[in-house]
Amino acid sequence: MSRSYLFIPGNNPNMLQNLDVFNADAVIIDFEDSVISYDKDCARDLVENFLKKYNFENLEIYIRINDFESNDFLKDVQSTLDLNINGYVLPKAMPESIDDLNKLIGTKGKTIIPIIESPLALLFVREIASKDNLHGILLGAEDFTKELNVPRTLEASEIFYARSIISIACNAFNIDSIDTPFTNTDDISNLRVDSLKAKQLGFTSKSSIHPNHVETINQVFAPSKSEIENALRIVTKAKTELKGAFSLDGKMVDLPIIKKAEKTIETAKKYNLL
Amino acid sequence: MKSAGSLESSDCLITVSYNKDKNNTVNIESIVFDQFGEQIFEVINKSLQELNIKNVNVLCQDKGALDYTIKARLATALKRLEGENNE
Repeated sequence: MSRSYLFIPGNNPNMLQNLDVFNADAVIIDFEDSVISYDKDCARDLVENFLKKYNFENLEIYIRINDFESNDFLKDVQSTLDLNINGYVLPKAMPESIDDLNKLIGTKGKTIIPIIESPLALLFVREIASKDNLHGILLGAEDFTKELNVPRTLEASEIFYARSIISIACNAFNIDSIDTPFTNTDDISNLRVDSLKAKQLGFTSKSSIHPNHVETINQVFAPSKSEIENALRIVTKAKTELKGAFSLDGKMVDLPIIKKAEKTIETAKKYNLL
Repeated sequence: MKSAGSLESSDCLITVSYNKDKNNTVNIESIVFDQFGEQIFEVINKSLQELNIKNVNVLCQDKGALDYTIKARLATALKRLEGENNE
């Protein structure tokens, strides 16, 4: 599980060669929106040469390929299948396009992060989440609200249902739920508010289009100090209790709560918070 | 004649054309020519050798690109030139 997923333009050497300095848990090298159609071949050659030359440990690397119906989809996949990446971010995902990408991946050991960015895709989210080889699902709110013909707002009420159902589907199938990027690059205060809203709905992570957002996202999606302390108390008491359920601070603690506390401790350890 | 890359920082713009004299020529304009001109020359020549290309003119306008970028931009420019030839 990663907290932050940072998009890096695939045809920008300056950003590429610094991709490990932004402290994101995962980076998504972009072949889609940030690369103009004339330069898609440039981006493929640049990323291929870059990833053959440099190796990044402790950093998950994904490539956002062009969508299934574009002329670049196949070229994007074929040119990167043998590179040292974790997988692909698939735009405009539908169940069939995930199946087709999985066929191309074969035994190459790459995972898929579909982007839900249309109302139709949202109706298929349960089927999408159940597909093989998924690492997570990413909500693409800009395209989603464009199709719904509603404006994006700071309150984000227009994506409340989409966030809720994606988070639930991901949780049910034990994959990452990755929130949509916050598009105002300078408004860190509202980035925090937006991130907390997503976390409250169950999201495990958030994507970002600007390195300035990574620190806040990492803070929000890591367990807080009080969450870690509480988890430690639950796990400690669980070890001494003979009963399946017990009381702590007047609240009942049973197996699901103990498991959740163990997961919190595991996450805290992963991010050196313990 | 075909190009790939850009004149932005850490990038380079590579322009290639066919050489009728059947040999390779390489010209480099770089902001770091004094320090890295020879290395850029080597990267380009080695790439041409690996690709078995013996009849192109290469102009590299460098803005501080690392080796992998020069190699990538050259590869794209050559593929575009070949594509133009096949059209």
